Amino acid sequence: MSEPATRVMVVDDHPMWRDSVSRDLSEAGFKVVAATGEGAQALRIVASVRPDVVVLDLQLPDVSGVDVTRGLHAGYPAARVLILSASGEHRDVLDAVKAGATGYILKSASRAEFLDAVRRTSAGDAVFSPGLAGLVLGEFRRLASDPAPGTPRLTEREAEVLRMVGTGMSYKQIADRLVLSHRTVQNHVQNTLTKLHLHNRVDLVRYAIEHGLDSGPG
Amino acid sequence: MSLQAPLWRSIAAFRFASLAYAAILLAIRPIYYAHWGWAWVVLAAMTAWTIVTTIAYSVPARRTWLLLAADLIVTVLALLSTALLQTHAATSTGVMPLTATWLAGPALAWAVVGGVRAGAAAAVVIGACVVLLREPLVATYRSTALDGPVILLMAAMLVGYVSILITRAEQALQRATEIEAASKERERLARTIHDSVLQVLAMVQRRGTEAGGEAAEIGRLAGEQEAALRALVTGDGLVSPPSGELDLSVHLTRQASAFVSVITPADPVLLTERTVTETTAAVRAAIDNVRRHCGESARAWVLVDDEGAAVSVTIRDEGPGIPAGRLAEAAAEGRLGVSQSISGRIRDLGGSAEISSTPGAGTEVRLRVPRAARPA
Repeated sequence: MSEPATRVMVVDDHPMWRDSVSRDLSEAGFKVVAATGEGAQALRIVASVRPDVVVLDLQLPDVSGVDVTRGLHAGYPAARVLILSASGEHRDVLDAVKAGATGYILKSASRAEFLDAVRRTSAGDAVFSPGLAGLVLGEFRRLASDPAPGTPRLTEREAEVLRMVGTGMSYKQIADRLVLSHRTVQNHVQNTLTKLHLHNRVDLVRYAIEHGLDSGPG
Repeated sequence: MSLQAPLWRSIAAFRFASLAYAAILLAIRPIYYAHWGWAWVVLAAMTAWTIVTTIAYSVPARRTWLLLAADLIVTVLALLSTALLQTHAATSTGVMPLTATWLAGPALAWAVVGGVRAGAAAAVVIGACVVLLREPLVATYRSTALDGPVILLMAAMLVGYVSILITRAEQALQRATEIEAASKERERLARTIHDSVLQVLAMVQRRGTEAGGEAAEIGRLAGEQEAALRALVTGDGLVSPPSGELDLSVHLTRQASAFVSVITPADPVLLTERTVTETTAAVRAAIDNVRRHCGESARAWVLVDDEGAAVSVTIRDEGPGIPAGRLAEAAAEGRLGVSQSISGRIRDLGGSAEISSTPGAGTEVRLRVPRAARPA
């Protein structure tokens, strides 16, 4: 390979999954720079191992998935977080995505789907499972009742695309149906995440100001 | 340790304190008594009874109505002995009876055991005896003579009320403790199962699907068990919102399988029970349709979109699709399957059902039900 291999860090507290995922990644030509089962350790080493992609299981014994996601961003902003998780953790997944994760794939996904998701994450694309589309759509619906200025809204088109992703359609199928380019569909999806990320950051700042956390000690 | 125990301790303390008060009054005012010596004998009996009751009441099992009745009788006898021991002049001018405030003991005990009414009953009995003692009273004293009994009545009722509150608080506390223990145990189980069985099942599913053939079937079964077990340990659907509404997401998620993905928002989608039941039935009919027309192992997706004023549910498959006009034709021939079990139900809820299909590119059923459903 001419270009350097994508650097991946695997964070999963279950050794069986950690080993299996690491092996799949290595065999597919990725460079697994670290594999750990502890959120705290992941946060400690992320800056020194400089991963392009962090494959993260949300259910860690020591630190919550949201805090790990946020901490990874703070520790090494270039790392992109792909959540590899079991089904039925809706709230956790949504919170992690709002905290900056750019992808979500189920543990039940096949090896090929998983490797493809890692590749797309490293390329900077959002990886949306139908489940994540449903969660993001739901979050915007919830925010729709919030009259505060600056609350992110979905465009008609974005809502339409999210609904299609949520019913299992591939980007190609969506592009064909809406007569758009594959890239445009990808951009629509990406935009919805960007809006959530920005809003989440604004929210945090507003929270900090309201609670006087910006004024420092004294 | 019962929460009532402090109440009993304060009653015991009150009895001893008022006994001492009665003794002091007797010691400094022999002038009011015709038979001062005998009065001391009664006081000795009162002391003995105070010790007996304090010991008896300290054990919950001994707080029987027999003991309470005996307590009341002994106290009333001690009170009435005043008539024989005090001088007539003293009694009729409103001098404190021999028992002084000690007479309140049984009323308080009755209140703690039996609540407001029992406390009031005992207080009325004692109060009546106090009034009886002063029967030959001069008219001007009549009103003040009632003060003591009225205060006693109020105190007994208040203690009875507090006792009821304590009993309720105790029950609530017990229930909360039980719930907490149960949910702790559930959490512990969930954690253990999540860390072991679920991970292995998910891995079996993944590896099995890759291996193909029979292993794929095993993988599929493992995947189904993983989802079922996870739903069990996370307790989906156990918590019903107080409004009496149901969470559509929970009900639709039960329709999920290895082939049917149900996609929902993170927050519950609360609708009336009827809307949830009917919508779930319509979705089940649509999924059955997919099975019938596209095969048992056809993939389908169910998306729940809570738009606020309305909730839409989209069911999509990737089957061969329905040729144009086929649905209307079926309805015209009287085969009501799709239109009745899906459209009919949703129309009854004041909603709409759209079926769109492109031959070769699957079928999409979009149900839309308003939040405030039209009454049936």
